[in-house]
Amino acid sequence: MRAVLHAPVPDRVRANTWPPINDRLEAEAQARLREAAASASTDELTRRIMQLDYEWSFDRTLETEASLMGLLGLALGKAFDKRLLVLPGFVSAMLLLHATHGWYPLLPLFRRIGVRTQDEIDRERYGLKTMRGDFAAIPPAGSPAGERAAAVWKAVCE
Amino acid sequence: MTLELQVSPSESEAAPDRVRAHSQRLQNQRIDAQTQRCLEELAAAGPEAISRHIEALDREWDVERYLQMNAGLVSLSGVVLGAVAGRPFLVLPAAVFGFFFQHAVQGWCPPLPVFRRMGVRTRREINREKYALKALRGDFDHVSPERPSAREERSRADEERTWRADDRSG
Repeated sequence: MRAVLHAPVPDRVRANTWPPINDRLEAEAQARLREAAASASTDELTRRIMQLDYEWSFDRTLETEASLMGLLGLALGKAFDKRLLVLPGFVSAMLLLHATHGWYPLLPLFRRIGVRTQDEIDRERYGLKTMRGDFAAIPPAGSPAGERAAAVWKAVCE
Repeated sequence: MTLELQVSPSESEAAPDRVRAHSQRLQNQRIDAQTQRCLEELAAAGPEAISRHIEALDREWDVERYLQMNAGLVSLSGVVLGAVAGRPFLVLPAAVFGFFFQHAVQGWCPPLPVFRRMGVRTRREINREKYALKALRGDFDHVSPERPSAREERSRADEERTWRADDRSG
């Protein structure tokens, strides 16, 4: 069984980011790809790919911040005044807003300090994999479909 | 097979995809098998079907989105109940935020196994399928693999093409 929910736009966080910031993040990624292509050995490419594997994505950053703010708000509400429960309530509502629409109050801040979505990270990652030649051994179109499917699967899993 | 069901973390805890690392091996295998079947079908179906499928993949809800939805709904109801009906209900949002923090840092939280069983994938798993399909479609064909010695002479235009191939959508 496969969940079939689909969003109207691909990368909602990008769609909610001020365009110049998207452009800047993209330009930085392109510069890194150029640098990698110009000077890097296969080992260096592998090192960069592993580095990207451990980069904190936007969702992970947001989830960490939201859960901490929520816990803090609950603690304050319990310790001082019931009205402070507005804070965790607000955090929950903003989590829902992010899940449904992709926007979040701290989105502009996170984006400005360069927190990238998993889609953006993966785009750079597969760019590096292409340079490393991971996709070089795919049988050309016209070869048996099973062989091609197996080859691309192996290439993305490398 | 039945024994494997009991095994919880299937991959090392240090694995880059934390959600996969904290999913049952069987669920990961099912998701991988489904991706491989899909690749085989689309390899036979041709570029147009591939493009349509890539578009759908770009919009597929990933597991983080399900979890955010779930955490938001449950904690919001908990806070409202706590404010209206009585303090003990605040245990609910506290548990949700606590587990959600655990999920963000470590990768596991109670609803995760349910979503994984439903076949909900991580963004990395979705993108793995996407870039495999882009390779099938031939998006990377014009990026010539190079010997390390030749890489230094590689022109800027080449890398621009790498980026564009990567950026091409739909």
